[in-house]
Amino acid sequence: MADKAESKDSPNKEEDDGPPIRVVLFKSDTCAFCPRAEEVLVETLEGFGAGLFELEIINVSKNPEAAEKYGVFALPTIMIGGVSVTGIPEPDMIMKMFLGAKVSAKRRASQ
Amino acid sequence: MSDFEIERVKSGIPGLDDLIEGGFPKGDIILVAGRAGTGKSILANQFLYKGATEYDEPGVLVTLEEPPHLIRRNMMRFGMDLAALEKEGKLSVVDLSPSKEVTPVKIGEYPSFDLSGLEAIILNHVNKIKAKRVVIDTLAILAYKFRSRDILREEFFKLTASITRTGATLLLTSEIPAQHDGLGVFDIEAFLASGVLVLYNEMISQQSRSRSIEVLKLRGSKHSSRIHSMRITDEGIRVWPAEISPGA
Repeated sequence: MADKAESKDSPNKEEDDGPPIRVVLFKSDTCAFCPRAEEVLVETLEGFGAGLFELEIINVSKNPEAAEKYGVFALPTIMIGGVSVTGIPEPDMIMKMFLGAKVSAKRRASQ
Repeated sequence: MSDFEIERVKSGIPGLDDLIEGGFPKGDIILVAGRAGTGKSILANQFLYKGATEYDEPGVLVTLEEPPHLIRRNMMRFGMDLAALEKEGKLSVVDLSPSKEVTPVKIGEYPSFDLSGLEAIILNHVNKIKAKRVVIDTLAILAYKFRSRDILREEFFKLTASITRTGATLLLTSEIPAQHDGLGVFDIEAFLASGVLVLYNEMISQQSRSRSIEVLKLRGSKHSSRIHSMRITDEGIRVWPAEISPGA
């Protein structure tokens, strides 16, 4: 996964949970903190179960245009549902962001 | 003294090169510091515009603060059509301004990050148009985006070195906060640069202000140690080398 410019996991979607939450990790080939951030992110997301998230990894060294589009230039940065965290995050932070995105998505769906 | 001459790039600011032995040393880092409203961004954009139109040196503008459409509009006032240069591939704009709608809202920051993304984004533009000039306007905004200033300081050294390694001359703008004695919010801006220009817009009477420019340092060059008059004219910034600022 680390060598791919971009990778996507699209597990089976569970209708009751709504569409999967998009999680994006921005990393680079030279960023010393990125491998650990990726480990923390993947381990934390595993706790949510398949179908609830869609993980996209953007390697900025190979795809700088994608990072520029989002205005993300400090790495690692994790983006979940319109908010982001920079640096190696605590799992709690990822959980909060994920649950926040879930609540927002449900709210939007009910409107 | 030997006859060795440092290769220089013309600043594109009429009158300024007379103060600095004909131009900025090629491939150096030049800091343009000043308080708000002193003309830093105009000078920086003029450096790029003139470089592309008069000296065949393509340039990259990295804007971290002002949205590109406002920069283009403001420079048109001086007859400098940045959009036309972009179409011709002589100017490339890196838009990292906060005005982008898709930019996520940062809710957390841990002191374990670097600016390798910024480096990759800028070098991508530099390589695409074979840029000889790069402007980053302005470093100061990062002080408000990130709390970890120690990391930023270290990363600035890496970032600026990787840009100048391409052979490009790098001009950084830095806003001096009000009631601040240094040359920027990080207090390292002047160390990063081999040349420092300071712009002033001082009140000289109850009714008027006077613009001026000072070459605080420029390694490898004999430069004026005076503070010289500077004006923002219809054609952009102009310096009067023989005129000493009344506020000096």
